[in-house]
This record gives sequence, structure tokens and C-alpha cells, in this order.
Amino acid sequence: MPEIPADELSHLLARVALRDRAAFRALYDATAPKLFAICLRLLRDRREAEDALQEVFVKVWHRADRFASGVSHPSAWLNAVARNHAIDRLRQGRAPSADLGAAREIPDPAPGPEALAINSDDGRRIDDCMGRLVPQRAEAIRLAYVEGESYIELSQRYEIPLNTLRTWLRRGLLQLRDCLAPRR
Amino acid sequence: MTPISDDDSALAGEYVLGALGADERRAVQRRIASDAAFAAEVADWESRLDPLLDDVPAQAPPAGGWAALETRLFAPPRAARPRWAWLGLASGVSTALLAAVLWLGEPVQRAPGPLWVSDLVSPDGAVRLAALYDAARGEMRVSVGGDAPPPGRDFELWMIAQGGAPVSLGVMPHSGAAAMTIPEDLRDAMAGATLAITDEPAGGAPGGQATGPVLATAPLRRI
Repeated sequence: MPEIPADELSHLLARVALRDRAAFRALYDATAPKLFAICLRLLRDRREAEDALQEVFVKVWHRADRFASGVSHPSAWLNAVARNHAIDRLRQGRAPSADLGAAREIPDPAPGPEALAINSDDGRRIDDCMGRLVPQRAEAIRLAYVEGESYIELSQRYEIPLNTLRTWLRRGLLQLRDCLAPRR
Repeated sequence: MTPISDDDSALAGEYVLGALGADERRAVQRRIASDAAFAAEVADWESRLDPLLDDVPAQAPPAGGWAALETRLFAPPRAARPRWAWLGLASGVSTALLAAVLWLGEPVQRAPGPLWVSDLVSPDGAVRLAALYDAARGEMRVSVGGDAPPPGRDFELWMIAQGGAPVSLGVMPHSGAAAMTIPEDLRDAMAGATLAITDEPAGGAPGGQATGPVLATAPLRRI
């Protein structure tokens, strides 16, 4: 996909916030292919993904003024709007989640050698950090984030009790966070 | 910014990951709305995990996706546009038979007033529309033939009075015949006006201004 420079996307979002329809069209042309792919991957149904794409852009039109260019990367913001919508849709109509609160009581382990991650501005930094996780945790994070698998689905896939699964995923996330931006 | 606990950071991460069930997800969304520090942590997680989406290759979005979006967001309320009523007649009539076919089955209650006809055909012949206007009754009937508009598009009929701007007469049915009463304030201008068909987003041109290519134009001729 042709990469659109972040400052150009930020500019388009700012114009959209001012109700500039031509900018909205340009934003659609530039970003719909990626946002559609994200919806399709999560929803696994073309028709639903098409509906979701329209809803996502309706949200973008109404919420563009909430994008703060100094805080987020514009494509990350747009991708999050798409993922949030698709995940909300995925989780609707499914059995209510089991009470997973207990998982939070288990203390995290002390930071390991992964905290010594090299500092790099490269976007693929996430691969380094994912590579430092227990492989199954990294895989579960990917399955949840990219494929939309829920805790319930993951616990069935790995044949691990929900609470245990949740505990190690939360640990994996904090490990990932510390690797991406080590705390001082 | 207020430092956030590992517990809350992990919850924000789980939320962004998308693995939570519906109930807990809603609870987290309420928290985002009311707790700025927590909301900022959610935004941080969105940025942290976003590079994982590099593995999702872009896909061509649906054809007509933009048109449908544009109609939904920007189309004026439908009531503003004249409505066509279905007549349920066969489509694709020739001009020669136009008057007879369009008036078929309609009991003649009185001698009709002046009749005007227009025969609109696109240069490639793919879009055809025959119109008949009964000035005494202020009624226009159309018969639509040829190709249907592409998905997510509609053909819209316009009346252009001499020296005037185009006025929408509404979106055409994809085929068959339809009738409408011309609004009183447009009737005087119908004599000698030109009709035009444009290709517009589904539901008609946003804002009442033609946006699409003009497919065919033809004057109304008195018969």
C-alpha cells in the first residue's frame, strides 16, 4: 500500500474536522483500503466489513475534531476507530463474558532481561519486543489484536482456564509495554 | 500526567487488544469517558500495538462505498425531492408509442391539454428515458429503459427552464414507468424546457446540485 505521510494525514483530518468534504474524500481514498482490510480481518465477513467501513467513516466524519495530532499518530488513530467498531460488533450478541476479575489479583513477576531492550525508532521495534515474550503469549496477543479472538476463544484454543490465560496475557502486555518504552 | 498503575495499564491494554467480553468492554468504555488518565493510557496502547497491523495488507474497499457514505452523510432529506409513483407498465417503449403506452389504462375524463414529449437517449444508447408531460393536469410520466445505474448510483432527472438553473425532478426508477405531479411553481417553466439525466450517488445528488456526468439531454417538444 502506498504510505501516506503522517503530516499529510494529520492535515486531512484537520480539514475534515472543519467539515471539508473534499478532504474527507481524499482521506477516504487514502485510508479506506487499510481500514476495510482491518474490518474484514476482524469480522471475517465481507458484507459485515462493508457495513463496518461505512460506520467507521461516519464516526471519522463526526469525530475528526477529537484527533490530537500532537498525541497520536493519525493512522494509529484511524486504525483504532476501525478496530473499536469491529470489536464492538464482534462482541455484541455473544455470551456474556465470565467474571475474569480474579485474574488481576495475581502479582506480576519482576522485570526480566527484556527490560534491557535496545532503543530503536523503527516501527518493527514491536517485532523485537514480541520476540522477547514467551512465544505463545506473543501469538495470543497477535490473535486477539489482529484476528479479533476473545479471551474465551483463546482459552479454548490453548486449553487453558480463562483466568490463567488472562493472567499471562496481562503479563505479556506489561512486558511488551516496558520493552517498547522502558520505565526509568 | 498522573502515573497509572500497572493494573490499570494492563486493563487498558486488554481493552485495546479487544479480548474482553461485551460487559467488561462497556465498563471500560465508561471509564474512558470519565477518567482522562485512563483514556490517555488507552490511546498509548493504541499507538503501541498499532504496528502489529502492518501485517494486514490493504484491500480494495467495496465499489460504491464512497457514494453510499456520501449519500448517508450529505444527502438532503428525501421529502425535498419530488416522488415518482410506480405505474407498473412495461419498460423500453419506443417514442412512437410513448403517448399511447403511458396513457394506457387511464380513463379519459376530459380532453387532455397540451402534451409535451421528450426522448432522452445517451450517446451510446445505454440509457433511455421517454417523458410525457400533460400541461393541463401538471402530470409527467416517464418510461425508463436501457441499463440500470451501477450499484450505489441512481439516475436523476432534471428540468432546465430557458435561462434557468437545473431543478431536480427526482431519482428515476431503474426500469419501468412512473408518474409524478409537477410542483405548481415549476409548471409554467415546463413549456420549452430541457430535460437532462445525470448519474448521481444513490438517493440523488447531495445538496440538490447535480454532481455526476450528464448522460442525456433533450428538449420537451409539444405534440
